[in-house]
Amino acid sequence: MVDQQNTLLAIGIMALIVYLTRSTGYFIGLQLRHIRGIQPVLEALPGCAFMAILAPAVRQGSVSEIVAMACVILIMWRSNNVALATGAGVAVLLFGGPYLDTA
Amino acid sequence: MTTWQSAKLGITTSGDYFLSTFMFGVMFGLTASAVGMQSWQALLMSATSFTASGQFAALEFWSAPLPLATIALSVFLVSTRNLLLGMAMTHHFDGHSLGRRILWLFMLNDPGVVNSFRQADDVDRLGYVTGYGLSMMTAWLSSTLLGLSVAQLVSNFDLGQVSFAGPLVMATMMMLFFKGTRSAPAPWILSGLVALLLFEIGTPDYLVLLGSVVAGLVVAILQARRNRG
Repeated sequence: MVDQQNTLLAIGIMALIVYLTRSTGYFIGLQLRHIRGIQPVLEALPGCAFMAILAPAVRQGSVSEIVAMACVILIMWRSNNVALATGAGVAVLLFGGPYLDTA
Repeated sequence: MTTWQSAKLGITTSGDYFLSTFMFGVMFGLTASAVGMQSWQALLMSATSFTASGQFAALEFWSAPLPLATIALSVFLVSTRNLLLGMAMTHHFDGHSLGRRILWLFMLNDPGVVNSFRQADDVDRLGYVTGYGLSMMTAWLSSTLLGLSVAQLVSNFDLGQVSFAGPLVMATMMMLFFKGTRSAPAPWILSGLVALLLFEIGTPDYLVLLGSVVAGLVVAILQARRNRG
């Protein structure tokens, strides 16, 4: 059982770290904004981060996870419907996993 | 469009991610209960951190004695993308007081930022992202509470197969970003390739993230210089 004091300390540390990551990037950007042509560079960064996180996740994914990811990308490509894409992906994980991953 | 109108637009366009955030919140509530957190502690964490990935990462280590340094490092690593989201919004939060920007940056959220790039030029980005964030926060808190409430009914809860739902939600954001941004794709493609390469040679996770983003950044800078010159 985790004691209450340490729990509150951990929650406080987490809140501080997350807020600092949210605000620090913005204020670093403010220092760089005078550089000519910096805007498209900064706006490319989230896409780089998404790819950096997703590529290894897919590489080590199981068959059902890769199929689920393909479903999500395909549905998003065609419809931009986040709820449908996420729902379809989770359905593949839940119902396809037992079959696809043992094949 | 005024800040408040933009915030309202952010709320009204957040329906899709409201649903997926709600799903994650229920899972978080269930998992928090399973590791022995009290309901008010889990709700306090959701209200103050407001980060699905960071909170799930923390729960991985939630046992006595709490490894505070490990929790801090893992939360930092999965939150590093916030640095990039913040940098991406540098040119879009102008016209607001410093105090408001400092306060409202608490609500910075991935889908809000990604969707803000798809809005018309007259939309106030800070208002939009904050409105979107308020909607996400409502979904996150109410679903955490629901998950905590039904935890007694779902004993021995195991994230199991749906643990990959996180990357799936991130993929939806990536697709919205790719289709909505005016940036050229070369930096992201290179980032993905470098991430794969670093992953294959057994590089630690934080260096995979750092190395691949730096590679993408270099390409973005080269592109910007070529377009300028």
